[in-house]
Amino acid sequence: MNETLHTPIRDGLFDRLVQLADVITALPDQLSDEEVAGLRRVLPADTARAIGAAFEPYLRRGSVPFLKLAARHVQQARRARAEGRKVILMPFNFPPEVILIFRSAVPLCCEVITTLGVAVLEGAGERYWDEATALGLPDFLCSSSTIELGSILSSRDFRPDGLVQSTAGACDANSKVHEFVSLHLGIPQFFIEKPADSSARSRAHQRRYFRRFIAELERFTGETLDEGYMRQVLELANEATDLWYEFYDLHKFTPCPVPNLFSLFSYGTRFTSWGQRRAVDALRAMTDLGRERLERGLYPAEEEIARCVWLYTGYYFDLWGLFNWMESRGITYLHDALSLFVPIHIDTTSKETMLDGLAEAVFDYPMTRTMGAGSMSLSWIEDMVHFIRDLDANCAVFSGHHACKQTWSVFSRVRDEITRQTGVPVLCLQGDSWSRRITTAADLRGQLDAFVGSVVARKRRRAARRRRRQNMFKTDS
Amino acid sequence: MEADITPEALIRRASTIGGRELDRFREAGGRVVGYSCVATPRELLDAAGLLPYRIRALGSTARELADARMSRFNCSYCRSCLQLGLDGTYDFLDGLIETNGCDHLRGMFENWQHDRSPGFFHYLRVPHLKNEDTHAVYLEELELLRAALRDHFDVPISDEDLRRASARQERVRAKLEQAQGLRDHDPPALSGAEALALSLLESAWPPTEFEALLDRVLASRRRASITGRARLLLAGSATDELGLLQAVEELGGLVVSDGLCYGARAFWRESVHAGADPLRELAAAYLDDLLCPRMFDDYERRLAFLRQMARRAAVDGVVLVHNKFCDIHGVDNARLRIDLEAEGTPALVLEKEYGAASDLGRIRTRVQAFIERLRR
Repeated sequence: MNETLHTPIRDGLFDRLVQLADVITALPDQLSDEEVAGLRRVLPADTARAIGAAFEPYLRRGSVPFLKLAARHVQQARRARAEGRKVILMPFNFPPEVILIFRSAVPLCCEVITTLGVAVLEGAGERYWDEATALGLPDFLCSSSTIELGSILSSRDFRPDGLVQSTAGACDANSKVHEFVSLHLGIPQFFIEKPADSSARSRAHQRRYFRRFIAELERFTGETLDEGYMRQVLELANEATDLWYEFYDLHKFTPCPVPNLFSLFSYGTRFTSWGQRRAVDALRAMTDLGRERLERGLYPAEEEIARCVWLYTGYYFDLWGLFNWMESRGITYLHDALSLFVPIHIDTTSKETMLDGLAEAVFDYPMTRTMGAGSMSLSWIEDMVHFIRDLDANCAVFSGHHACKQTWSVFSRVRDEITRQTGVPVLCLQGDSWSRRITTAADLRGQLDAFVGSVVARKRRRAARRRRRQNMFKTDS
Repeated sequence: MEADITPEALIRRASTIGGRELDRFREAGGRVVGYSCVATPRELLDAAGLLPYRIRALGSTARELADARMSRFNCSYCRSCLQLGLDGTYDFLDGLIETNGCDHLRGMFENWQHDRSPGFFHYLRVPHLKNEDTHAVYLEELELLRAALRDHFDVPISDEDLRRASARQERVRAKLEQAQGLRDHDPPALSGAEALALSLLESAWPPTEFEALLDRVLASRRRASITGRARLLLAGSATDELGLLQAVEELGGLVVSDGLCYGARAFWRESVHAGADPLRELAAAYLDDLLCPRMFDDYERRLAFLRQMARRAAVDGVVLVHNKFCDIHGVDNARLRIDLEAEGTPALVLEKEYGAASDLGRIRTRVQAFIERLRR
């Protein structure tokens, strides 16, 4: 009898991603069109579609380093135990460099694993969501975390050694489901509290909370932080920070020279690998390609019609059918609230300055900064109005991810204020950013097309006519 | 039994927002400050001579004004409260205290403040953990609240005022625990709906009037006896819907105990704090006894509290209720059900729309089936 029939099938999300990661890291850095075509033929359909989106010729050179970074993020967790290191599963709103400053621990970002799973795996992670709800978890939780956690809860997948809890007060859905996993599987949880305003007093509290958190991690790992090693990690984080600002600035050009998918890849980089050499390499590849496209005046469509800032999350279950499709229609995905993570330069003078810098990074991280603020709406409005103006966006889109109850609870105010202060129209979609079951990609495309065609393009034509008339008057006079 | 404290009269009096006692208090120049979360120390307001009024929706389902602000993905209880804030029902409030109870509640307050700004608005930020650092932070928060109340209402709050208010609140709490004792009896002497009515009145009436009413109710119920098919404990999210409890009790499911934040969780005290600084004691008591799933690293205490209440009242089963889209109770209920069932306590998780009469048929069917399961 064939022995492979008796090999237990490891069908958890993480384990399936590891298998794909092994394929990705084995690929050469430079891939020809023929090699990509061959690769797509041997991969399952959903995987081929997602990989195909990233390997489109015009963005391939920037995508490969990111895909390898994501693959290594997964592989690093797989190898950790054999290397005597602990795997700390953390939510996306927590800087990975806080874990990376420990020699004996590696971070694994829950939402990135989910996103990779729904984007590239056959079945889009739906079975793991079902595993979670089968345990009695409500169906209105956030799929971004629940899909990966559902896989862990099934007990047929990789089990982390510890969990970081950093979303209390910024997202109930995320914080509670992590707590459930910790209780259900007996995995220790490490909490970091976020004070609910950004006053100097609150920032001082945050520094104290952060030190308590670090002390707990030190006890858990049995390792005392080493200043020299911290500095090494944080200097790499600072290098990535410098590059990010260059990357961000490229988005100010019209047409935008940076492919849509790179916005997603930039936060994939931030949420997994800040403080590692591969984050610098991935950002450099994306920035270099963007700069080169700027110099050559390249844009995927004939003209750039819509320059969109996405006000919160995007949709991630069909990269080719959404990100690439948008730019083929002249719709630029400039940034969203997750890619606008605005990293800070950490002062590496001493251990204390580094700890203070990291506490600050935790405080101002995506979602924590806005949804954990004294006023969610004011903080969100302030950020988005700034970015819409700074990036010269001509429209904004709210993905309306149904589990984001905190954003939904103040969105009407945010929409009104953005339109009032910037004049840009705001489209409100509804669906699940990580599940095609609620609103399909085809439906989303239809709504985006209608919005851009009937509102953004018309507004743009009216503005052009107005400019022409003004020029005529100037010429006449 | 006097006509104004019969079960029907109590429930009727608790089923209105405002009411005679509140009107009299205001006519005498009293000022009323609204709050929503049990993490708000009522004693601080009482010490300032202000009436702390806990916001409620009492099952109201009108939401058109609130729906223009919040969304259908937000809990219908918060939307109902916001509706009452926006339609003027709560215009009798002289101020509002926001707390970071949950995502929906924060949204509710932000919209309320923006669209119909009350005279006084203060955000009381409550930590999510219980440790030395967060205790110090919460104490600071109470200091800030004390200063804000003093500045706005021009009422200094001395430590002596605070001690007096705390003593009164402790006395009322002890009497509410006696009322719980009446439910623990077999058969119970107080129905679940009556107990919830008392709790609702406690957080809406001037303290002196409420204490007098409570004394009369306690005296009148000592020999009462209520029969039913099963003894239930009802726990879960913000439930001020007297109609829901009445519906469950009509089916024979006597709600002999609860873990509701409008019910026992609002007055139950586990920790003992004594010291020279009354504000410090208040901060410690409120944070330590905050048995709400918005707190982290504290699940075991929440579970222990339910076990204790279930044991005291010798319940046959536990009904865990939450409103659709309530993440904190939705997840906690999933875990509580697993743990309670593992210990041999039958548990039913009931997800519902807040106050929806159309949902009542489904709820009745499920509760009925649960009572059957309890073989009663």
